[in-house]
Amino acid sequence: MLSWLLSGIRLPLVLAAAALIAYALFFASPYDMRILTLCGIYALLVLGFQFVFGHAGAVSLAQATFFGIGGYITGIVATHFGAGFPVTFPLSIAGPVLLAVVVAVPVLKLEEHYFSLATLGIGLVVLLLAIQWSDITGGTNGLPGIPSIELAGFVLSDRRSVLYFVWGLVLVGCLISYQVTRGLYGRAFHLMREDRVAASALGVNIAHLRFAAFILSAAYGGAAGALMAHVIHVVSPENLDLALMVTCLTMTVIGGRTRIAGAILGSILIVFLREWFRVLENYYMIAYGVAALSVLILAPYGLVGALERLRVLLFGHSPRPNPPQVPEQAPQAAPAGEYDHILAARDVTLAFGGVRALDGVSFNLRDGEIVGLIGPNGSGKTTLLNVISGLYVCEQGQVTFRGQDITNSPAYLISRRGVARTFQHIHLVDELSALDNIALARAGIDGAGLLKSISTIGSDRRLERARRIALAAAERLGIADVVMEPCGGLPYGTRRRVEVARAIATGPALVLLDEPAAGLNEQEQLDLAERIKTFAADGITMVVVEHNLVFLAALAERLICLDRGKVIAAGLPDAVRRDPAVIEAYLGLGASEPLPIAAGVP
Amino acid sequence: MITLLQLVINGLALGAAYALVALGFVFIVNATGAVNFAHGDLVMAGGYVAFGLGALAPIPAIYLLPLVAILMFVLGVALALLAYFPLINRPPSTVFISTLLCGIILQNAFVVLFGPQAHAAPPLLKSGITHIGEIEISIQAMGTMVVAAILIASQYLLFTRTQIGRRLRATAEDRQMAQAVGIPAFALIASTFGLGTALAGIAGALLANQFFVYPTGGIPLSVYAYIAVVIGGWGSIAGAVIGAMIISLFQVVVSAYVSYAAATGLLYMTLLLIFVVRPQGIFGERVQRRA
Repeated sequence: MLSWLLSGIRLPLVLAAAALIAYALFFASPYDMRILTLCGIYALLVLGFQFVFGHAGAVSLAQATFFGIGGYITGIVATHFGAGFPVTFPLSIAGPVLLAVVVAVPVLKLEEHYFSLATLGIGLVVLLLAIQWSDITGGTNGLPGIPSIELAGFVLSDRRSVLYFVWGLVLVGCLISYQVTRGLYGRAFHLMREDRVAASALGVNIAHLRFAAFILSAAYGGAAGALMAHVIHVVSPENLDLALMVTCLTMTVIGGRTRIAGAILGSILIVFLREWFRVLENYYMIAYGVAALSVLILAPYGLVGALERLRVLLFGHSPRPNPPQVPEQAPQAAPAGEYDHILAARDVTLAFGGVRALDGVSFNLRDGEIVGLIGPNGSGKTTLLNVISGLYVCEQGQVTFRGQDITNSPAYLISRRGVARTFQHIHLVDELSALDNIALARAGIDGAGLLKSISTIGSDRRLERARRIALAAAERLGIADVVMEPCGGLPYGTRRRVEVARAIATGPALVLLDEPAAGLNEQEQLDLAERIKTFAADGITMVVVEHNLVFLAALAERLICLDRGKVIAAGLPDAVRRDPAVIEAYLGLGASEPLPIAAGVP
Repeated sequence: MITLLQLVINGLALGAAYALVALGFVFIVNATGAVNFAHGDLVMAGGYVAFGLGALAPIPAIYLLPLVAILMFVLGVALALLAYFPLINRPPSTVFISTLLCGIILQNAFVVLFGPQAHAAPPLLKSGITHIGEIEISIQAMGTMVVAAILIASQYLLFTRTQIGRRLRATAEDRQMAQAVGIPAFALIASTFGLGTALAGIAGALLANQFFVYPTGGIPLSVYAYIAVVIGGWGSIAGAVIGAMIISLFQVVVSAYVSYAAATGLLYMTLLLIFVVRPQGIFGERVQRRA
């Protein structure tokens, strides 16, 4: 208990929360209570925004829109139909969620800037509707006369009970947010945000995560908007406009975009700052903008992140958690049926502009063999791996894996069927430990769904199992003694092995290694080659892209040589390195020496 | 028929100013890959500078334009120093937020300095209307089109025909690589922000005569510039100009036949439809993301 309290910045947060509760209970004037109620409403809004902006990493500009729609639904249903809170509140959540579902399909596919613009466009359309459709919405004046919250006969008419009720809902919001983000499901968000390419190659369904985040943000936004309508008894276009969106964004940036404490800290700080700066009149919005900009520049992870950094500076790191006791082997994805070749590529073709990066590539792979993929720079090796793993869409041709057509399937599905890979440039999350980086291999496969995560009680079993599997993979690569260190601080060769371990932890049948030996010294290369052989001995097919023929000679049973997007030779290593076409591709026309595979051997 | 032709002429005149707005926006996109969401507010800043200078010296705005451009250049470099360089190694969305915040600061600075009401800047040459057949066109609108045409042509030549343009494109493509081959990337980025802002300022000075300047007037302009660049294909100069023209024609014609609110609503709906059908923009090419 004590160690829990002393780790991270929990102690100051608990003390601050206690002080805030004491203030609200015993010292707050009715005016203060109103301000604190607004803080709670904004905290809910920001908690929702954190899903899409913080966890999914997408700058949505529709959060104020969800808030406004929630408010308008409450206003319209309460004033036109006289419905009570038990009816209006669920409707106010359902409305924004419905809008989010409808627009999600086109909008969530969009890249960064386009996504922001599209969400802004949706917001502006809704704002125009609210102003123009004045019979229903009251136009620019809005809808006045929204009643107080009434629940089971109790009318929350005094400010104290409204304050408690709103903060009760904030607690529920915090709990849901905690449940969604604390386990393996939350890790999938982390990986997606840091590195979308690695995430999809590890079986993370990015579209699903973005959708879940967008829906959650809409639900929270709608709830916050409904509460606001009850508290200030009016909804107007101000509840929808860009100024509110900017306020929400500012609170999130200042507090911290992925931390629950950040949502609460950010909203309280901004609401109170606005009160204090009111004496500055028109200057207060300037002061507000300058404050937000300063935090954005000086504290990338918001004030909560800054506090954590301060803690590390003053008191050092919290003690690292212990690694799991028992390793567990990753289960391998079962094949769907009988097949001749584990992987068969037929006539795979892909052009970038005018350059034919792949030009009719065909080859087969057998179970458990180690194949070297060689070729000069720009010959299409990495492009071929990207097509097989689903990161690129090929224009022609077919790729079958274990008898099933995987041509142009999404990368996450290909990964879940049993194709794992590493990258030429390391794709790891620097601030996570090596163990957690490897455990991310399970985020896509075992990461469960949103509802399952929310309803998990106690520790997340899937995360614990992922760590046991990660430990087993780390042991097989000989890095078990450093797994608790953050990846950013590990030496290059070790990080390369962390990446291989992560590929193994997915439980693959086929592993594609993109230049695994680059930057390793000879000793490390030999060690890595031995370990790759043990995976092949387990029946895992290994494809190794390498320039280093010495490394491959000791390892590969077969070589495939690409040049300018075509397979120019394939077969036993000795035959391939003596092949005239291969020699010409590497050494130029007229050369007749076979490619050297080891010093002194022609 | 004459009314429609008249509307098209009016649309083109407005489109010329929008094109300048979009041009400054795409200039910064091209050099840095960053979306400058303060761009519309910078346009307003240009309008306010023209208004302020016009109040000091009652001469036609054409003589004020160089001074507006110089002052706005300085403001643009300041924006780069404040909102871009400190965040250069962070995800692009961070710059989006920082410029959004700078826009908020600018908007409120306008209120403090000039009050919430609208102001008009002096006309480019003189106010008045000429007739071409039965079509009327204001002298301001003609001047705007001429200034816009000159600036658009020079930017196009700058990017495609000069060494500086090639260096800017190289910097936008890969800043570190550009630095490695000896391109002074930081100076280029700073001057890009300066030039883009100067273009915004000139657009503001031109718009502020017919359409006035007011503190929140920049927000829709940021959005229009953004939409124009999306329609035209991300980073394409010609595309941005065409996009701006399409937006202004759409606005003028639909406003005349239905209402301004309907025009704006339909514009955003059309934008969303474009995203559904062609996520890469109308003229944009679909490129595979390099893994």
